[in-house]
Amino acid sequence: MTRVLSRRHFLGTVVAAGSALLAACRREQATPTVPAARTPAAGLQFEGVEVNVITFTGPQIAEPLQRRAPDFQKLTGAKINVITVPFADLYQKILTDFTTGTNSYHVIVFAPQWMADYVEPGYLEDLTPRIEADPALQWDDIAPFFRNFSATYGGKIYTIPLDGDFQMVYYRTDLLEAEGLKPPETWEDYLAIAQHFHGKDLNGDGVPDFGSGIAKRRGAQSYWMFWSIAASFLQSQGTQQGAFFDVDTLEPLTNNEAFARALEIYKETGKYGPPDELNWDVGDSRAAFVTGRCALTLDWGDIGTLAIDPEQSKVKDKVGAIILPGTKEVLDRKTGKLVTCDANTCPHAINGVNHAPYAAFGGWSGAINKNAPAKVKDAGYAFLSYMSQPAQANVDVTIGKTGFNPYRISQFENIDLWVKAGMSEAAARNYLGAIKESLNSPNMVLDLRIPGAQRYQGVVLDTVLSRYLAGELTTKQAMEELTRGWNEITNELGRDQQKQAYRSSLSIR
Amino acid sequence: MALRWRTSPTGPSPLGAILSYAILGFWTFVVLFPLYWLVITAFKLPVHVNEGPTYIPFVDFAPSLHAWRYILIDLGNDTLRPYLNTVIVGVTSSILTLIFGAAATYGLSRFTYRVRLATVLVFLGFVVLAALGIQLGAPWQLAVAGGLGAFALARGAVLRRVGGPRLGNADIAFWMISQRMLPPVAIVIPIYILFQRLGMLDTRTALVVAYIAANLPIAVWLLRDYFRTIPLELEESAAIDGANRYQILWRIVLPLSLPGLVATFLFIFVLAWNEYLLALFLSSAKAQTMPLLVAAQNATRGPQWWYMSVLILLMIGPVIVLAIVLERYIARGLLLGAVRG
Amino acid sequence: MRGLPPVTTPQRRGDAVAAPARRIPWSRAALVSWADRQAGAVLVLPAILVILVLSIFPLLFSLYLSLSRFQPVSGGFRIHFVGLLNYRKLFLGSEREHFLGRLGESGLIGWLAFVVLAAIGLVLLWRSLRTGPLNIFRLAGHSVVALASLLALWLAVRTIVASGGRPGTLVVTWVYVFGGVALQFLVGLLLASLCAQQLPGRRFFRVVFLLPMMITPVGVAYTFRMLTDTGKGPFAPIAHWLGYANVSWVNDPWGARVAVMIGDLWQWTPFMFIVLLAALESQSPEPIEAAIVDGANRWQIFWHITVPQIAPVASTVILIRLIEAFKIFDMPNVLTGGGPGTATESLTLHAYVLWRSLDYGTSAAVAYSLLFVVTFVGIAYVRLVHRRLTEAL
Repeated sequence: MTRVLSRRHFLGTVVAAGSALLAACRREQATPTVPAARTPAAGLQFEGVEVNVITFTGPQIAEPLQRRAPDFQKLTGAKINVITVPFADLYQKILTDFTTGTNSYHVIVFAPQWMADYVEPGYLEDLTPRIEADPALQWDDIAPFFRNFSATYGGKIYTIPLDGDFQMVYYRTDLLEAEGLKPPETWEDYLAIAQHFHGKDLNGDGVPDFGSGIAKRRGAQSYWMFWSIAASFLQSQGTQQGAFFDVDTLEPLTNNEAFARALEIYKETGKYGPPDELNWDVGDSRAAFVTGRCALTLDWGDIGTLAIDPEQSKVKDKVGAIILPGTKEVLDRKTGKLVTCDANTCPHAINGVNHAPYAAFGGWSGAINKNAPAKVKDAGYAFLSYMSQPAQANVDVTIGKTGFNPYRISQFENIDLWVKAGMSEAAARNYLGAIKESLNSPNMVLDLRIPGAQRYQGVVLDTVLSRYLAGELTTKQAMEELTRGWNEITNELGRDQQKQAYRSSLSIR
Repeated sequence: MALRWRTSPTGPSPLGAILSYAILGFWTFVVLFPLYWLVITAFKLPVHVNEGPTYIPFVDFAPSLHAWRYILIDLGNDTLRPYLNTVIVGVTSSILTLIFGAAATYGLSRFTYRVRLATVLVFLGFVVLAALGIQLGAPWQLAVAGGLGAFALARGAVLRRVGGPRLGNADIAFWMISQRMLPPVAIVIPIYILFQRLGMLDTRTALVVAYIAANLPIAVWLLRDYFRTIPLELEESAAIDGANRYQILWRIVLPLSLPGLVATFLFIFVLAWNEYLLALFLSSAKAQTMPLLVAAQNATRGPQWWYMSVLILLMIGPVIVLAIVLERYIARGLLLGAVRG
Repeated sequence: MRGLPPVTTPQRRGDAVAAPARRIPWSRAALVSWADRQAGAVLVLPAILVILVLSIFPLLFSLYLSLSRFQPVSGGFRIHFVGLLNYRKLFLGSEREHFLGRLGESGLIGWLAFVVLAAIGLVLLWRSLRTGPLNIFRLAGHSVVALASLLALWLAVRTIVASGGRPGTLVVTWVYVFGGVALQFLVGLLLASLCAQQLPGRRFFRVVFLLPMMITPVGVAYTFRMLTDTGKGPFAPIAHWLGYANVSWVNDPWGARVAVMIGDLWQWTPFMFIVLLAALESQSPEPIEAAIVDGANRWQIFWHITVPQIAPVASTVILIRLIEAFKIFDMPNVLTGGGPGTATESLTLHAYVLWRSLDYGTSAAVAYSLLFVVTFVGIAYVRLVHRRLTEAL
């Protein structure tokens, strides 16, 4: 049935929806205790165990957990209660539950960017032995970056990935082909392409559109977007080099030529963006891109599935994805100057361009509360493992609604699943190709995962960027302000502890 | 109803009426246009919202029920449960607030309270001591009982003879309203800890108690002015007829201040109905309320305008009905006239 | 005039002793129950206890937090006492520019504005001082208010009017509070007085005008974000047509602040409206009837009879709105996220952003600074304005 309705259908559906709701109410009153009727099936491993799983109010992320919970209960007997709270307050809500000793949440499905704040005080269970004894999980099928960095802290595994998050650049294949342009390899290319298309009508509605659209709103995703640009200038020696601090001194890498360059590029993208870009979050930038209003955008994997959603998209099969553009000049950490890429400075460069795909936010993952009862922890682990096993995960990542993006190697092999989900084969190859290229890069950038990461990024960096873009600060002032702010937090929380945490997050011994 | 009193006995002049209607009409548009936008957004597909503005269903976009279907059918009980919670918590807390608030207001406007500052300070001292005791590991029941006992002892033995400045009615009223001055983020964690210790997290009772405390000051302040305008003679004559204080309050003061009570009720009900931060922290699954669901529609994919619009419309419906039902009671003149007659 | 000033009766011993306001000749004195004698306490205590229990702990806890650093540790959390460090950060350290703003060079206009406003303020205070008996407390109180207002005014002028200045979250909050509440009151009063007339259809207007207040604040904020969107919002085509396709209020600090204030106006005018309407409708008719007999015109009736009658209620709603407006949060948070830069960030949003990143100490210090400002404004308002308006009757 089509979603767009004629007037008659419309009224009919209103009536149907109303009566369905009434019916739902009545049923609720009539049979208040459904679970009591269930007969205990003997021999199930976790019969009678209840596991509280907390995540944010979906449909993304929560939907697959809720949908698969009954199947899991049939298999093992464990009852999974999925509790959801608004996304903006999930971090606080979990932390309050843990710090006050309430411990009402047994399993948390969260952004591993917050991991340090939960792991350092010892709130999360070390999953290493369980994972080693769990062949069904097929741990080695998970992309190495997620396995070795994202799920790991200080050499121990704390989370099971359910989602792969990193940023890519999306472009309109139809436009670039028509003009004979290649997708951007460097950020200079990005600016050139954006400039080329800015002010032209890109979707045939007669209104001038924009070369680029990036979520730059304060208090939203701006600081990840910016770091996607900065990363390739700051890190060139592989993930363990770190893109935020010097791993030996914890001196921020935020006051040097490379950083200035990144700031200027970030600001310049605004010239080819919409006038109210400073107030755009990803909702706006995605909406604009999939309705054909922007030629380029910078985003997580979600655009791939949104672009094939008929309720949202006007650019189906006109979208290409590519690994984050890079740079031919990178930071020399000794001098603070930009140096040209060569075999030493950029060992992982492709065609002389240093790419640094940024695993912003980290991808939703599951972890277990250390203070939960032993049996509940076992059941909780079994559920996370079940969700991440290829039989379930490889289907879920192709469904847009789940919000899950690919993170397993086997998920790139099977093009059929993606075609079945509505992508053309070419689009699927292009999309998966960009993901694969990013994930295979040894120079992927791990998001900042030290205690207080929210303060470094969500408060200080976010505010400085917003003020810089609004013209309150010059490039130099912005870098000084940011460096001072970061050092202040570091000194407050203890430079040595923070350095140790930063090294732990990068798995440096 | 012959006694209906009119604000302007002559009625507005024709020119005045036209001007009045022009202003009222303009503000009606200002008020209704955002609501209209919510209504049509609730029937738009995401692509219709994102493509640029469209204004009239069936004319420049084809309405869709996808958002309603998602909220009412796909979510089903996940919408119904918060909705019932919101109704129960909103109604209970507002009625209780009004009862406590009316009683307190009557007390504050008809009695003279003179609390010694020294007593308050000593009381605060014992609270701090009890808190320290709890922090050091004493069971809270013991600490509270000990603190209260010590305070009672001190009050009986020493404080009765101490002089010093006293606090009057105005100070008590100001103290009450000052409880609303701290921003919510500053109080939510302590409140959470409080209810956690009491084992009341994720219950509707916790929300009701929290909302009563939060909204009482507003109720007292709003009602104070209405109670002030009630002629004292009526109370005196009732007293002469042998009514006690509670009867006077119930039979004379409350009916006479009905418009004020209604306006106050409506306001505190709306506050409780829409409260977000306390609801977020004091609930986790069973006691969640609707404002959480509205705020939750801005998640990793940006605001889901269509779902949000549906939820806002669902939330505002009952309040509109309530406002229409209660509006007539705000016609104060009628009641005053009736009592006089 | 009507109204009942609490009359002090002979003192009794005890602390919370209540005495009937007037000696009422009870006819059945013997039957007056104990409960009736204790009515004063019985009526007030439940409210006081509920508020006390739920407010005193957060108040003390936040105060302590504002003097410490919070850290999650194994099995719970730890609070380090750090003295006034958090406050130092706000007033002198790294948060100063964010909190207080950047002082600019106030040229001639800035100084002129300051002198004129200061002179007006001082005259008002002087007049207020002369209305009552002069004693040391009143003198000290007035001096403190005068000093603080001058300081606040100086900060506002140096950050808003002066060139190169930029208001911090404190001053932005003042703009929202004083500008917003004044606007809401005027619009609310206008609408209430129009609706109090005998106009056909007024019940319709009354209900309609209440609507904005009933929407959950987060919802209102998101609604305004839709409406003010310069790309997808309903007014975008009009802006295009007027030639403003390439500009947006988003990039202009005052444009963004005005947008926030418009949303706030829309949401909170109904509160002013409903309370003022109820006040207008509960005026006693005799003075108006008498004035009409005496031949007074509409404006004279309004100014000399209606205004004094509704003044206590008006003063109360202004006080309540002042207190609530200081906590403005959802509108700037949702509409602009505090941007561009920090242009629209209110104190509560400032505290929230810090709080959300676990910097509870600084967050509590911001909250307490806010509490201090609101308490000061509240007490000054009650002493200088509210009491006069309510007790004149």
